[in-house]
Amino acid sequence: MSDTRPAGDPDLTTYRDVQLSPDFSDLRRRFRRFVFPMTALFLVWYFLYVLLAAYAPGFMSHKVGGNINVALLFGLGQFVSTFAITMIYVRWADRRIDPDAERMRHQIEGEPK
Amino acid sequence: MSSAMSLTAIGLVVLATIGIGLFGLRISRTTSDFYVASRAVTPRWNASAISGEYLSAASFLGVAGLVLVNGADMLWFSVGYTVGYLMLLVLVAAPLRRSGAYTLPDFAETRFESAVVRRICSGLVVGIGTLYLLPQLHGAGLTVQTVTGAPPDVGAAVVAVIVVFNVAAGGMRSITFVQAFQYWLKLTALATPIFVILIAWRSGDHPAGVLQSLQGAASEWSEPLSRAGGRDHPLYATYSLLLALCFGTMGLPHVLVRFYTNPDGRAARRTTVVVLALLGLFYLFPPMYAVLGRTFAPDLVSAGADTVVLELPNRILPGTAGDLLGALVAAGAFAAFLSTSSGLTVAIAGVTDQDLFRSRLHRWTGGDYVAVNSFRIAAVLSMTVPYLAFLVTGSLSLADTVGLAFAVAASTFCPLLVLGIWWRRMSTTGAAAGLVVGGVAASAAALINVLGGPDGGWPKALVGQPAAWTMPLAFITVIVVSKLTPDKIPAGAARSMVRLHTPEAVDVDRGLPSR
Repeated sequence: MSDTRPAGDPDLTTYRDVQLSPDFSDLRRRFRRFVFPMTALFLVWYFLYVLLAAYAPGFMSHKVGGNINVALLFGLGQFVSTFAITMIYVRWADRRIDPDAERMRHQIEGEPK
Repeated sequence: MSSAMSLTAIGLVVLATIGIGLFGLRISRTTSDFYVASRAVTPRWNASAISGEYLSAASFLGVAGLVLVNGADMLWFSVGYTVGYLMLLVLVAAPLRRSGAYTLPDFAETRFESAVVRRICSGLVVGIGTLYLLPQLHGAGLTVQTVTGAPPDVGAAVVAVIVVFNVAAGGMRSITFVQAFQYWLKLTALATPIFVILIAWRSGDHPAGVLQSLQGAASEWSEPLSRAGGRDHPLYATYSLLLALCFGTMGLPHVLVRFYTNPDGRAARRTTVVVLALLGLFYLFPPMYAVLGRTFAPDLVSAGADTVVLELPNRILPGTAGDLLGALVAAGAFAAFLSTSSGLTVAIAGVTDQDLFRSRLHRWTGGDYVAVNSFRIAAVLSMTVPYLAFLVTGSLSLADTVGLAFAVAASTFCPLLVLGIWWRRMSTTGAAAGLVVGGVAASAAALINVLGGPDGGWPKALVGQPAAWTMPLAFITVIVVSKLTPDKIPAGAARSMVRLHTPEAVDVDRGLPSR
């Protein structure tokens, strides 16, 4: 690539290049698209549990079998889902973020200074 | 309760802490030693250390006490304390690591290029840390009082002196191993009595009717949102508490720095998974103490609920077995006070030394001082203020007070971090305004609470659990003020964004801007 940067602080132009590059905005957008909805979903699920416990006691105390009712299953489900979300995030970041990040690194560092 | 046995157990924990602190002094001479050494630590050890530092008096004694009095709603404390780490992981951990900032004031300065924003953050770190230390001292006072009958000042003074000694000596913090060990000690101390009690019952000698009385335990108490224990507007209070705990963890001064002890982002994520598992495991036990306490120690509901964990082993199993278990629990409680207080004191002292103290000391003495002494004086001050606060405050609920520290963090550092990381057009003025508005509102609520607070109804609910209104208030302030002051967007915002969002492996300059 020929150096077409304007004169000035060379570092700053590198930063601007990265900031404006489609790869960078793609990486950021992908991260945001995954993390924000997941956070929202997860909060809604917690808040819903509180509401159900308060306003749908009949449903929550419905016996599924033996001494086990819906509230208990949902409550345990919160533990399971918290853990599941963490695992999903970790796997997703390992697979979808790290490799692209690595590729970007090679692109940036491969550029002539 | 046999005080001799419990005192011996507490003494052992204290001696071990001091001993390892002195040992730490010999092997760790600089702050960078801490980071370099820790980077060789596996995620599993590191996670034990994070959990060990995190589980405080509120978790060890307070949660059981609150559930004992107020019933099922308080179970959200244990959920929220854990979930905060997930929020920290997905929203801020990776970008913050990349920013190269080790503390919240460092982050504020790199992102907003403003000494004023940095100064405000330093003040908030001190405030949040002090609010968090206060219940640790109350917990220590309560424990020594329960075990020996000595006035609460004694226990609090013991913890204060040991922590300051250790921090000033430079130990403790440097040893991931100590914190890791403290986690397993706390878990063992809390879990063993429960298992022993269950085994004793299985082998047949459970007190007559205990199961019936457990099943019939006051129905209002076991119902969700029931206002048991006199808490009005339970739905609001529960939501507000959940918000504070979910979004407050990321702004706690002693939590964030721990994420730098991982060699890379991948290890940081692994560590968080293990932390969630370890905390989840620990929080299974406090509610069991509360349920058992409801049957075996109903008198504690009205007087001294926070002592239920300490009292219960002896109430259920009189004799030597109960004494031994009681001693174990007391030791675990002291491990909780010491580890959390040490982490907090290091964080507060670091900030006080660097941002509020050293320049003045320099002026007063004309440069005639040693840097390490400045940190030591800061460490003494960091504990003196909470100790004075402890002396003037009456008994307070341990877990509630810690919850307020989370609320202040959620109303100040959470908007600063989340918007600062994800919104390029956040202005320096917006950041300062958000910190001040959220900080003043939440701290005022916390202060009113600690000093007594309103009696009931909406005032009590709004002041007791402020996060649901102070946190949105802070976010809105940041956004509105930033929109109004577009010329105050820091010149290096684009550079900061690249630094925060490109992977660590990329060689961009992550140092603090030269000034």
